[in-house]
Amino acid sequence: MKYVFLALSSCLAIIAQMIAGRNFFLFNFLDLSIILVAYWAIYRSRMQALFVGSLAGLLLDAAMGWPIGYNGFGKTLAAFAIGQCWKRFNTADQLWVRFAIIATSSCLNSLSIYILFWLMQRSASRIFLGASILQALITAAVGVLIFAGLENYKRTQAHKAH
Amino acid sequence: MPSKVSKERALLVVIPLLILHLALLSLQIEGPSGTLLFKTWTLAVQAPVISFSSGIARAVRRVWSNYVWMVGARSENQQLQETVRRLSLLNSSYEQERQENARLRRLLSMTDSASYKTVGARVVARTPSFLSNVIYIDRGSKDGVRIDEPVISGDGIVGRTILVSRYQSQVQLLTNPDASVGVMLERTRTPGVLRGSGDFLLDLNYIGNSEQVENGDLVLSSGLDGIFPKGLGIGKVVDSRKGKGVFRSIKVQPFMDFMRIEEVSIILKSM
Repeated sequence: MKYVFLALSSCLAIIAQMIAGRNFFLFNFLDLSIILVAYWAIYRSRMQALFVGSLAGLLLDAAMGWPIGYNGFGKTLAAFAIGQCWKRFNTADQLWVRFAIIATSSCLNSLSIYILFWLMQRSASRIFLGASILQALITAAVGVLIFAGLENYKRTQAHKAH
Repeated sequence: MPSKVSKERALLVVIPLLILHLALLSLQIEGPSGTLLFKTWTLAVQAPVISFSSGIARAVRRVWSNYVWMVGARSENQQLQETVRRLSLLNSSYEQERQENARLRRLLSMTDSASYKTVGARVVARTPSFLSNVIYIDRGSKDGVRIDEPVISGDGIVGRTILVSRYQSQVQLLTNPDASVGVMLERTRTPGVLRGSGDFLLDLNYIGNSEQVENGDLVLSSGLDGIFPKGLGIGKVVDSRKGKGVFRSIKVQPFMDFMRIEEVSIILKSM
């Protein structure tokens, strides 16, 4: 059941990304799957985050019509980076650390895809790297806001329960 | 701080996942030569292993042949010196004929087949399956080797390159059932197609029943296949009989001993 939920959440993130990106241009600069991966790495299990990243990447490749593997590789790497960094640094009260971790992971994802393009002897536009930095910043900002809201909500619920 | 154990566990998951994605990608993408990257990468990964083990085997063989297997070396040396003297005389007469041939060729404005750019290579491995008839040589794209380039030896045509990585190439031998060469009979200039049969003998196809083919007839490349240059020796006819249909059934014994190939040359088309 847990793995069905993993798969479903990955699917939903991709579909949401596709629908939103088609209607609102700025959503193209938001990587929902990275936020999803970060969520699993932070609040659930880092192992599961790897699988979520991997699966979300594969689905994203399929959706984009790319050869399967580019995004899978990038998202898995990003999930690993987020999982390792989140526990290593104190992220509880320092929002900028969270921001930096998500942004760096998003950049790592894009950079790995760019390198894979180069390795596979495919041309990748330099604009891709520029847009990736913008995407990393927006994704990190939105991610930090979502997680802050989530924690705030949990705190309020816990406070009410007491 | 994450514990060391959990980090190692994460690495145990992330590395296979990353490799899986790379494998998926390489199974879908072709390189500029039209070969799947998966094949090229596999060859590139196994190249150092093959080179290393081949080097060890060569060293062992060298020690064996240079230091252990020296019985009768003195008498063999005398025989060889005698052979060298005889061959030197023969060679000088051939040299005269070669020069005369070159003059005649120039007169006829024909291209000298020796003008092909070649690169020497050492055979480093062969596939274990007898049916595949594929060898690996220690030259690759770094040395200018490309796919579908003819591989020859002193005895004639060996095969063609079918897969090229940076440092190694795979060569499909003439005996491979998938291999074929455009040929002609030296005596009658009759064209045909020589095919590998997976056996030591090759099948010469598409020679009509009405053609005169005798045992011992030399078989040369015709150059019509677009891969092998014209006039390279391949073998001689050892069995020729009328076929049931339109064509004769002809068996050709290659000059090359395909089980004992050690050094070859690749004719570089790109040069």
